[in-house]
Amino acid sequence: MGKLEIEKLSDSNFILQMGPHHPATHGVLRLFCEFEGERVIKITPDIGYLHRGIEKLSETKTYPVAMTLTDRLDYISSMINNIGYCLAVERLLNIEPPPRAKFIRTVVSELTRLSSHLLWLATHALDIGAMTVFLYAFREREQILQFFEKICGARLTVSYPRIGGVRFDINSFVLDEIYKFMDTMLNRIDEYETLLTENRIWIARTKNIGVISAAEAVSLGLTGPALRASGVYYDVRKHMPYDAYNEVEFEVPLGENGDTYDRYLCRIREMRQSVFIVKQCIEKMPKGEIITDKAIDIDISPERKRLFVAEDSLWSGFIAFLDEKRELIPKGEIYSAVEAPKGELGFYIVSDGGGKPYRMRIRAPSFIHISAIPKLCEGHFLADVIAIIGTLDIVMGEADR
Amino acid sequence: MKTLLRKILFVDLFKGMALTFKTIFKKPVTVRYPKEKRAIEPGFRGRHALVRESETDRERCIACTKCAVVCPSQCIHIEYVINSETATRSLTKYEIDALRCIFCGYCEEVCPVNAIVLTEFYEYASYSREENYFDKEVLLKNWDEFIRQYEGRDYINKFWYLPGINRERLPVGKRQPKAIFKTKE
Repeated sequence: MGKLEIEKLSDSNFILQMGPHHPATHGVLRLFCEFEGERVIKITPDIGYLHRGIEKLSETKTYPVAMTLTDRLDYISSMINNIGYCLAVERLLNIEPPPRAKFIRTVVSELTRLSSHLLWLATHALDIGAMTVFLYAFREREQILQFFEKICGARLTVSYPRIGGVRFDINSFVLDEIYKFMDTMLNRIDEYETLLTENRIWIARTKNIGVISAAEAVSLGLTGPALRASGVYYDVRKHMPYDAYNEVEFEVPLGENGDTYDRYLCRIREMRQSVFIVKQCIEKMPKGEIITDKAIDIDISPERKRLFVAEDSLWSGFIAFLDEKRELIPKGEIYSAVEAPKGELGFYIVSDGGGKPYRMRIRAPSFIHISAIPKLCEGHFLADVIAIIGTLDIVMGEADR
Repeated sequence: MKTLLRKILFVDLFKGMALTFKTIFKKPVTVRYPKEKRAIEPGFRGRHALVRESETDRERCIACTKCAVVCPSQCIHIEYVINSETATRSLTKYEIDALRCIFCGYCEEVCPVNAIVLTEFYEYASYSREENYFDKEVLLKNWDEFIRQYEGRDYINKFWYLPGINRERLPVGKRQPKAIFKTKE
């Protein structure tokens, strides 16, 4: 446990500082809690302990190189961050990846969603006291990370997608393995449900905890499973389809009460849908190119100096643009969103025509979900604060950026 | 009535306990790490190395500085001299600060002559920062240590010839059908 500073204000109220080094805050989140007895009166989250200046840093990197920074946003679902960034740049460039790349991207992003939800389930259950689920969920997460290692050579910071496609092809053996694993995954999800869904302790700890109505959830800007558990039908994959999501069939699970238990059920059902999406994608996987011809190379020149170099020269990689406009990337601005496991992950990029983003703003779901903690914790016990932090699925790397 | 009975008989808890009890008889999935090691998938991005060409016994690098330009964390430092007669470059310094590296693999992807490689070796933690600051000799030594595992076999790095990518899109040096490193027989 971190250092807890307890400061007595009056006879009834006291202030408790939770974090920033606390195992249940999922990173370096500091909560400034005001209690009356054991009931929460007010909670003020304090963030910024993991700030690395990714938004500012990306202004000094070229477009393909800045993609490696997005791995470090939400470090347990880095594949989807990369895809979100690549989609934004692709929309800016007005290029489209070939169909096979789209399907591969859908497969890997759903695998990422599975692994992220598994980590959420593991830590959330561990915070509440169910240790077994933690061990079981990490067993399956390890398998998914091994698939990532097979596909791209890294387990967490993958840098796998590329602007205009993906970096490698997935060979059919790996696809078969993934397909086989998806069948066992369905059984495993049933196992987690046997351990938790009907468990009376789990129900007592999660039902009617952190209830949020649909209107409040919308006004707070919640997205992803946290919003859908309140019964709001909003999913970027359905409303603004990207990649191959409009070619596969899936449901968007919705909750009713908007409490911690519903958010748990929503995510569990979402994991099942992810399994179905991966299976459909592998069945429908087309053959062909994995990167478009219009895709920009990773070694584009940031200074917009080089015009034409003979192809066999050393600088041939720097052939960047030849048109009279002298623009590497079209001028303009773009907002593009993907459905990350936590919620809507948006990239807003302003381009001034150069090889680097003029400004990149990241709409991180965790950042917005942290602002919902004070509302959700009102009137609950101290122990429920832990459950509420867990249910929102916060990753501080994304919130502080 | 049925739900009440289930509640009294602790059905929900016993179901979970039956599942955990069954797991006792299953083979453990954990690996006792320092004793046993998990097999690394080919193409894993690990410790850096500079390929030592077996014919010349030197590095392949031609000092084009593409890797240093593209590196997101700017951990590659290159110095070179240009021979005024032949207009070729020769390397005088090639250093990688491995502690800064983020292992994205961009350097091996842009390299036109397949000179730099992220090997599949991953156990190189050290007690001092200097040990993980690789200069040219250390990088070549890293390669020798790594290629020893491939005795008699050809080493293929998948970053050297990106599978599935149109050949016209690759640098000239990477357009051959298979960029492999042949070990001495």
